[in-house]
Amino acid sequence: MYLNIKATKNNTFDAIVVGSGMTGGFAAKELTEKGLTVLMIERGREIKHPEDYDTAMKQPWEIEHRGKITAHSAEEHWANKRFGNLVNEEAGSFFTDDKANPYIEKRPFDWIRAYHTGGKSMHWGRQSYRFNKQDFEANAKEGIGIDWPIRYEDLAPWYTYVEKFVGVSGQKEGLDVLPDGDFLPAMPLFAPELHFKQKMLEKFNRPVTVGRVANLSQPQAWHTKLGRASCQYRNKCVRGCPYGAYYSSLSGAIPAANLTKRLTMLHDSIVAEIIYDEQRQKATGVRVINQQTKQVEEYFAKIIFLNAGAMNTAALLLNSKSNRFQQGLGNDSDQVGRNIMDHHLGVGATASIEGFLDDYVYGQRPNALYIPRFRNWGNDKQAYLRGFGYQGGASREGWNRGVNADGFGGDFKQNLTKPGQWTIGFGGFGEVLPNPANRMYLDPNRTDQWGIPMIVFDAAFGENEIAMRKDMMNAAMEMMDAAGFKNITGYNRPEVHLGLGIHEMGTARMGRDPKTSVLNAFNQVHDCKNVFVTDGAAMTSSSCVNPSITYMALTARAADYAVKALKKREL
Amino acid sequence: MNRRDVIKNVALMLGGAFSAPTLMAMNHWENATQAHVNGTAFSLSSSQRTIVAEIAELILPKTDTPGAKDVGVPAFIEMMMKDCYAQAEQQSFMEGLVLIEQTKFLDLNESERKGVLKYLEQETKAEMVARQMKQTKMGDNDDHEDIKKAPKGLPFWRLIKELTLLGYFTSEEGIKASFEYVQIPGKLENIKLQPNQKAYAY
Repeated sequence: MYLNIKATKNNTFDAIVVGSGMTGGFAAKELTEKGLTVLMIERGREIKHPEDYDTAMKQPWEIEHRGKITAHSAEEHWANKRFGNLVNEEAGSFFTDDKANPYIEKRPFDWIRAYHTGGKSMHWGRQSYRFNKQDFEANAKEGIGIDWPIRYEDLAPWYTYVEKFVGVSGQKEGLDVLPDGDFLPAMPLFAPELHFKQKMLEKFNRPVTVGRVANLSQPQAWHTKLGRASCQYRNKCVRGCPYGAYYSSLSGAIPAANLTKRLTMLHDSIVAEIIYDEQRQKATGVRVINQQTKQVEEYFAKIIFLNAGAMNTAALLLNSKSNRFQQGLGNDSDQVGRNIMDHHLGVGATASIEGFLDDYVYGQRPNALYIPRFRNWGNDKQAYLRGFGYQGGASREGWNRGVNADGFGGDFKQNLTKPGQWTIGFGGFGEVLPNPANRMYLDPNRTDQWGIPMIVFDAAFGENEIAMRKDMMNAAMEMMDAAGFKNITGYNRPEVHLGLGIHEMGTARMGRDPKTSVLNAFNQVHDCKNVFVTDGAAMTSSSCVNPSITYMALTARAADYAVKALKKREL
Repeated sequence: MNRRDVIKNVALMLGGAFSAPTLMAMNHWENATQAHVNGTAFSLSSSQRTIVAEIAELILPKTDTPGAKDVGVPAFIEMMMKDCYAQAEQQSFMEGLVLIEQTKFLDLNESERKGVLKYLEQETKAEMVARQMKQTKMGDNDDHEDIKKAPKGLPFWRLIKELTLLGYFTSEEGIKASFEYVQIPGKLENIKLQPNQKAYAY
């Protein structure tokens, strides 16, 4: 093969990070701050903070379809549409065109993607909870999947480190089930929620807290240094925050990495495969396809971090074939692409609340109340394994209560200008067990427009999830009843598939044994140690808490290890 | 109850207001709407457009604050039906609208028009309850087949009421006349509601 030496030199960095989202951003920040030159490769278009948040300051009447999705957009975003009104004119430009980026569903999989700078960190729910000690131990204790190669104590300092940088508003509760972190001031619970909290403690001994959310309730010096300001309580985070008040890769990690002047970013560039050197037995770089011109280019580095999002990271490993790795890089165990987990949701209850009619709220809380897991915890024992948490909250009804209410005319119109009664709703986020039969793989025949094999999903909820869902609905109704709420309605959306939680994970799991896992305790590919996977693919179990803060903690820990190992010339 | 029964009931309620030609036309409208929806894009005739405007104004009339027509709700409804709704909803909207046309809605006086809308409201309520039950029954992931069946569109009354409220209460004049509009709250606080305090809009 002809090699242009000069081009190779220009295309060589200390580290390559594939993906610019939640973990790619954090990897780039950590590696550059520790002195490495980093090339970050993003497959999608470039978004600049904050000037590309086109809709951020629009008033309601300036949004043509007022939050609804046009039929045209719904067709282009056929997978996104399953989540709901995500791809409307407020936030739609932060979601991927599914028609141009199709995937194959052997069994239905709701794959919600975000191909642009910042990835899904642009519109995540921002809920930030640590895994607890049991989350790391349950697999081994119950004989499910494989054991995590790390424990809570290994990650705890990195949680603190990430929480500080990101800025998490939350209340310390001293609970084993939901370990406290390093928090900014908590947002308030509303009057009926405080009543609910009291009742749950009295009747069930179940704690209720306000959500732990990555919005700056009180920015610290290191936040303002990056241009981030306090939350304005507009709750329009999905549009991109012009104040940088909620954490995204774009408002936090990437600006921090840019301060080092060691970050180079490449956009519209799809990493098609990892280049493996058979002699040196390590990865040397990546092969990249420009998504517009389809031109192919190679880039080289001493270490490579894969942060493309769990499904794309696994696809990239599977597509990186060599003599040594004929089934895909790091796939000796045949576990790459398997054990897809997520959090199952779309199940819970709603109710109306009598009274509290002189209680109201100024501002919009970009946050929820949180009910930590109480199932299979302490003395509770269920027929299914693991548990779930609830997220939701109370609010006073607005004008839209008129849609389903009787009446029309002048008095009806006048009445809708006043706050309506309080209502409450919360839905569960349930743990999904790892199951090797839940998998994605590359189609042997069909390729996308860039010639890369298409991803096939073959996964579904198992008996444990289905049993848990029934309890999630019933327990929510029971709690609302115990709080004295009325018109209680449970729901358990039957059309929910794996993926809809947008917490897809597990496709290159960490473990102790190379025969049953893909990554070691520091997120290195077992037999190709200069490749690190620190996005959701690395997860060995899913817990029931929102995972991003855990992914970032794993990333910071792995980056620290990688740089130390580089300095010791171990990589 | 089928559509023709609905029209007959409306006719009875209005004291047999249907002419013979109208009753004859009833035999054809179903086919007509079917053909329309399957063929061309969603569009309204000028009399249908007038009916939509009159209904919107009955839902949110001009009082000491602007009415639906003042803030452009009728055109908004048509645009939304065209741009944002699937064929099922476009069809149910047209079916409902044709049904109203059959009542000679524009020839009725205000109290008769309100009577028609009240009747529609009650009909719609029953249908919405049935839909709700279907959606909230215990899902074991085994009623996927049920879901795949071509869904019936939301009823006309539900659609026009929602779009009237949405168009009005998100319009600049509608928001500012109805609510205390706060673009940037800047803080989050539990407060006590003052007597006659309007709701906040953000």
